Parts: sequence; structure tokens; C-alpha cells
Amino acid sequence: MRAVKVLERILITIPIMLGVATIVFLFMRLTPGDPVDIMMGEAGFVSEGEIENLRREFHLDKPLWQQWLLFVGGALRGNLGNSYTQKQPVAALIAERLPATVELALGALLFALIIAVPIGILSAVKQYSLIDRLSMAGAFVGISLPAFWLGIMAILIFSVKLKWLPVAGRIDYQAGLKVITGFYVLDSLLTGNTQALVSSLKHLVLPSASLGAAMAAIVARVLRSSMVEVLRQDYITLARAKGQHEFWVVMRHALRNALIPTVTVVGLQTGVLLGGNMIVETVFGWPGLGRLAVSAIYARDFPLVQGVVMVYAFTYVAANLLVDILYTYLNPKITF
Amino acid sequence: MAATNAKHAQDKTFAYIENPSLIHPGWKLLIPAPEDAARLVAEYRAATTPKRGGTLVVGLRGPVLTLDPADYRDRITETVLRNIFDGLVTRTVKNEVVLELAESATLIDPTTWEFKLKKGVTFHNGEPLTAEDVKFTFDRIITEGGIEYPEKHTAARKGLIAPLQSVEIMDDYTVRFHLSAPWPVFMQMLVHQQIVPKDYFEQVGTKGFIEHPIGAGPFKFVEGKLSEQIVLERYENYYGGANDLPPVGPAFVDRVIFKILPEDATRVAALQAGEVNIIQSVPAHMIPVLQEDPNIVVKTCGGTRPHFMEVNVKQAPLNDVRVRKALNYAVDVRTLIDKLYGGRATVLPGPLSPFNNFVDKTLKPYGYDPAKAKALLAEAGYAGGFSLVIDVDATSKDLAEAIAGQLRNVGIDASVRVWDWAVLRPLLLAGERQATVSSWGDSAFDPVGYMEAKWHTYVEGSTYGRGNYSQYSNPRVDELIKAGEVETDVAKRHEIYNEAQRIIWDEAPCVFLFVPQEVEACTANVMNWQPSPDSRINLHDVWLK
Repeated sequence: MRAVKVLERILITIPIMLGVATIVFLFMRLTPGDPVDIMMGEAGFVSEGEIENLRREFHLDKPLWQQWLLFVGGALRGNLGNSYTQKQPVAALIAERLPATVELALGALLFALIIAVPIGILSAVKQYSLIDRLSMAGAFVGISLPAFWLGIMAILIFSVKLKWLPVAGRIDYQAGLKVITGFYVLDSLLTGNTQALVSSLKHLVLPSASLGAAMAAIVARVLRSSMVEVLRQDYITLARAKGQHEFWVVMRHALRNALIPTVTVVGLQTGVLLGGNMIVETVFGWPGLGRLAVSAIYARDFPLVQGVVMVYAFTYVAANLLVDILYTYLNPKITF
Repeated sequence: MAATNAKHAQDKTFAYIENPSLIHPGWKLLIPAPEDAARLVAEYRAATTPKRGGTLVVGLRGPVLTLDPADYRDRITETVLRNIFDGLVTRTVKNEVVLELAESATLIDPTTWEFKLKKGVTFHNGEPLTAEDVKFTFDRIITEGGIEYPEKHTAARKGLIAPLQSVEIMDDYTVRFHLSAPWPVFMQMLVHQQIVPKDYFEQVGTKGFIEHPIGAGPFKFVEGKLSEQIVLERYENYYGGANDLPPVGPAFVDRVIFKILPEDATRVAALQAGEVNIIQSVPAHMIPVLQEDPNIVVKTCGGTRPHFMEVNVKQAPLNDVRVRKALNYAVDVRTLIDKLYGGRATVLPGPLSPFNNFVDKTLKPYGYDPAKAKALLAEAGYAGGFSLVIDVDATSKDLAEAIAGQLRNVGIDASVRVWDWAVLRPLLLAGERQATVSSWGDSAFDPVGYMEAKWHTYVEGSTYGRGNYSQYSNPRVDELIKAGEVETDVAKRHEIYNEAQRIIWDEAPCVFLFVPQEVEACTANVMNWQPSPDSRINLHDVWLK
């Protein structure tokens, strides 16, 4: 894909993000529940004028269109506003949590691919065999299991009973990691801290597996069906006829062609991994964006919800863009 | 106690004692043989001799919002901050106020308090704590727009000390607090305000301060992310804390880590795996599992959340007091407590928590009497019952369904609907619902704040009636609540609140349910830790065996 096209696609994410944020802006304000009232909680001590002052401070006393202009005006200048509850700029709060979420999503992606690709290939090659039936049944279970149940079961088995892996968190404090990028695995490598590397990887295993299980199941099924499709094509027969070893027929001729639908699904699912991990983050005490979003929604912390949703919108668009770029490598016939 | 609990593990006919001061008649206890007793005493001695060292990990149920003691309104944040910062006064687990940084407190006149500060107290950077720091702390809180980061705003904690007008420095170690009107709960509310160092604060600003806070508390901040974990270390030069809360001196544990674990099941699992030492809010259904575990100790204390089923007193048939009384007789509170809370709750005698210092001791719970309930319904003309919809949020669903079941037994066609609380609350306040099941924190030391919110007529945008979901409005009760706010004579305040409680009890704008106990748990090596009714976790006195 030409650089101009890529740039164009990146630029178009700005109106998309603003559009999404505007919808969220409206929906949050249409949802019953007053952020100031929630903030006061059960305080029996609400001083005179305190509620009106807070409303003014948050600009909630202004008409909706003025609030929207303030928000869009700020967002275009790169200012997402300040969180009502945490008294910090939204951008800073997101920046602090984003690496945790991305690290977890990458862990889940890796887990899903390691599981799904061999299973998908194997069950396509050995169609209707026992392996195929077992793995597709497994995939069905994988899709059906709710992540929170899987997560809690994994904790009870691997952490509480077997004590192999930690229950929650991202790293042991004792590992003494010096944080540089916020990606703990990367930081451990950069600082050459083996103890921190082991600790951060151990902390990643269960949440990645819980988050990646559903994706592994979906990818395995998609890869299998497209492999089955491709293996029936004439060029596969031709490759076999040329006397190529079956292994190379599958890996070189079949897999590459079967990857296009798979890559689409992986791209979409990566968006889901980044945006749909609230439950896994909560179960594993993982300090990421999903947990921030949930607490912000409950508190009706409007600026924070808007900010987080804009990040989600961006990751979806970016994941799709990456998929489109990957297409051109997988199939040079596709151009834009 | 230890012997009986050990026996309980093998033989369930023996009681399990959680709180040695609460032993019920009829419990089967084990009296140890002399040699066992001697061993137990030796173990007890060992367990009561403090030991220095170790890392204590606490699993919190929710996020910490800030490290600025002036700018938050929630309890979890307070739990962490009060291990870093000390206040002029603090509270014991029995709800008494005792001096902390203050050496003395004198009421000069009804609106002026004078505090003398302890000498030799230092902040974690070694700077002495003086009257300047106290004035600076409170000026930041009470000044409109007193906080400049991230944009100019007023401290969130101002509302907790609204009558405070100014702080006056008399000398380096003496300050006077001037109030706008007499305020009987001033000392109780002062517990919630912690002192920050003026010089350091002015040097680094709010942003710098929340990145690396410095206080005069038992632990100093080392590092931490609010969403992940917060690491504290013992402050060696700690002045010792409240004289009335022994042991006085530096903390015992070397290091404290607060971890944020929002999911109940995860928090319990982390405790079972030994990854954390103390957890908050153990769900009732997990208590039996933890009690079976020899490495875990479950602890409870009187809770602060009275639960009610409030009914809309403005709508027929609930506007008839006979119907409301019938509801009180129709609900078997004892069974609800046993089935849903494993017995860990206390029946509410009336509108105030039985642990409140101002509870009217002559009030008795309505009690379960379905015959009387039916008679009252018949008298009110509802012998055939009526239909009742109870609207609740998800946390009260099980309780509401159990109550609805009991109400159906006396012929009331009760059903339950579940909402997001933020959606339901405005509807309740507007009187657009029939009934709800809810709870409201009664800090237990004084009715001020609680009575205003719960039983005063609803006044939009104010403290009054913020939690009044029954549309209850009685001019005499309003008058009494207002009188109690400014009356400083304790005996007169008792009279005022007793009258208000009796009126509310008699008019029954709700079904009085119960106060569940706070249930927290720790690993068996955590010594001298007691959960406190205000859910604060004070780690100064705790050590690891």
C-alpha cells in the first residue's frame, strides 16, 4: 500500500474517533445518573453550594451544545479534559494504563495463535479424524466459556491448589523492576533484570490464556474451514502432482492462501482483545484500561469514559488498517 | 477460644468463636486440660510479643483515587492515606476519638477549639511538624478553588468540615480552629483530615506531591501506581502515634503493599494462596470456606450499614401506617440474617444502628408476627393483599427476593425488579417507585449526617433527605434533626434523637431490617490486627509472626 494511502487512512481515524466520542458524549449524558451525586456518595455532610460548585466546575451547568463544543475543542487540541473522580488529566490516566492493556492483549494474541494455528492446520489436513473432532469440540467449548469463569477456575487450579502461578497483578514488587516504557516484559529485557522477566511472564500466563481462549477457538475454526477449502483447489493437486512433500504443500501452498480470512478475523479479534478485556482485567487485578473504563462508567466520569472510548475506537481502526496492509503482502494481487 | 476453634474443625457441634466478647448461650465450648492450657498460654504469650520485620500485603476491593489527603471522598483511598498521614485526632476500633498529633484539645468557646501539638513530630523528610503545617493543610481544604492541579478547584474534603471558618496560629505548636456555629461532631469529623507538610508542598506543588507524598504517619511512601499497587516502608523516626492506642512507637512491619483486587473471588484466592495477608469485604458465601482453612483467620466487627426496605409513604396503600406496620410484622428478619448472612448481622431496633452512641435503647424490633400482619392488613382494608413492586440494584437482589417471598406468605403480591443504582436512585428520590431495599452508612458514632440524609424531608441539592427513599416527611422529625445538629449538651442531644427515633419507628416509613457485620480476613501470621467499623485498615500496630 502506498504511503499516501496509509496516511489518508490514519487521518480519517480522527473524524471517526470524534464521531464515536460524540456518540458516547451524548449517551453518557442521556443515561440517568448524576456524576456529582454519585461522587458525594453517602456523605451525610454536603456543604451548602457544594453540589452547584462541582456542577459548575465540571461545566455540567452549561447547555449540552456548549459542553460538547468545550469537549471537541479540547480534544482537537489534544486535551481530553480532567477526570472528575481522580483529579488528573484523562490523557495521563490513559497513558499510565495503556501499556498494561496492550501487553495483556499481545499475550492473549500470542497464546491464541500458538494454540489455534497448529490445531487449525492439523484438523483441516486430518479432516473428520479424531483429532479434528476433538479439537473442534474443544474450540466450541472455548467460545462458550465465559472468560470470568475460566479466569477464576484457572486461579483456583494453578494458583491456589498447585501454586505454580501468581493469582493477580503484573509483577512482584521484590523483583525490583525499573519501569521505563510501562511494558513490564520489555522493561525487564531492557534493564536485563531476569527476576523481573520471570515474574512478569508468570503474571501474564493466566490472564493471557483466559483472554485468548475465545480467540483461539474462533481462529482455529476459521483457519480450519479456509484450509479445507484451499486444500480442495486445483493448484494443491498440481503441487502434489509435482511430487512435493505433503508438509510443504500444506505450509507453502495451502496455508498462505488460507491465511487471508484468518488475518481478517485475527485483526478484528485483536480489537476485541484490546477493548473487551474489562472482565479479565477485573478478575486478575490487571491495572489496565478496561478496569479504568468500568469504574469511570459507574462513576459517570464523563471525560474519562470519552477518553477511553476514543482509544478503543482508535485501536479498532488501527487494527483494521494493519490487516489491510498485511493483505497486500499475503496476496500481491490486492491493491488499494 | 483457640482450643474451641481447633475442636470445631473436627467436630462441628463445637462452636466457632470469632469474637471472644461475643459468646452466645447454648454454644458448646471446649475447656482445655491444665497442660494444654499451659501450652496455650505460652503460645498466647509468643503471639502477643510484637516482632519487627516482614512485608505485609493488603488486598483492597477498589481503586485508590489519589494520594492527596485533601481531595477525595471514598473510604478505600482513606485506608491507604491514613497509613502515610496522621491527623490531629484519630479513632479507635470502638469509635472513640483519641488524640494523635495533638497533645491536647480544648473547647475555648462553643465555636473555638484550641489544639496543642506534640513536639518532636517529624514528616518523612525530617522536617518538624508545626502549627504552620496544620494551618496550611486546612487552608487548602477550606479555601474555594484552593487546589490548583489539574485545574483550579475546591478540595473534595471541604464538605466534611464545612463549618470550619479559619485556622489561627497562636504559637509554633498551638492552633485555634474557628467554626461558624457550634458543631457537636467536630472532633469526630476531624479524624478524617490528615496533615501535610507546608514547605515540601510549596516546593513540589500538588502534582509533585501526589507523585511522591510525604506525611507524618507510620509509613512512608516508596512507590506505586494507584491502579496497581502502592508500596510503603516503615518510617523509623515516627513519633509513635496516639498515646491511647498502644503500642506506641514505629510500626513493626518493614514494608506494606496495597494491591488493588476488585474481584471478590480473586481477593479470596490471593489470600488462600498466601499472596496477600489481609483482605477487605469477604462475601458472606465465602466465609465457611475460609473458616475451614487453618492458615486463615476470619474477623468481624459491628458494621455501619443499616439495611431497610423503604416504602413510598405517599402512595396508597403504603400511605396507611397500618399497612407499613403489617410489612414490619410480615418480614422475618432473623431468618433473613441466618439464611443470607450466615447469622452475621444484628437486627435493627429502629432507624438508627444499634451500635450508634445515640440509639434509643428502649426501642425494640417489631418482630416476626404474621398473624398480626394479616390482622393489620385486614383492618386497613387489604385483607386480600395488594401488589408491591420492589425496585433494587443488583447488590440487594437476593435480599429483596427473600423479602418478597415472605411478603407473599401474608398475601401481598410482591415482586422484584433490578436496576443500575445510578438509574434507580433519582427515580426513588422523585417518589416514582413503590419500594426499594437499600442501605446507608451510619458511621455509628453520632446521628448527625446520617439522620439528615436518611430521615429528613428531601431537599434537592442538599444534605437533607439525600438518602430518603421513602418520601418520608415529618415536620417534627425535621425540627429535631436540625436541633441535634447544633445542640452541644449530650443529655439534651439524647432526648432530641430519642424522640425522633420513636416517631420514625412508630410511623414505619420502612421495614427495619438489620446491620450486617463487616467481615475481613487475614492470614494466620498477622497479629494484633482488628477490622474497624469504618473499614479503615490501621497497620501501625500489626506484626507478622
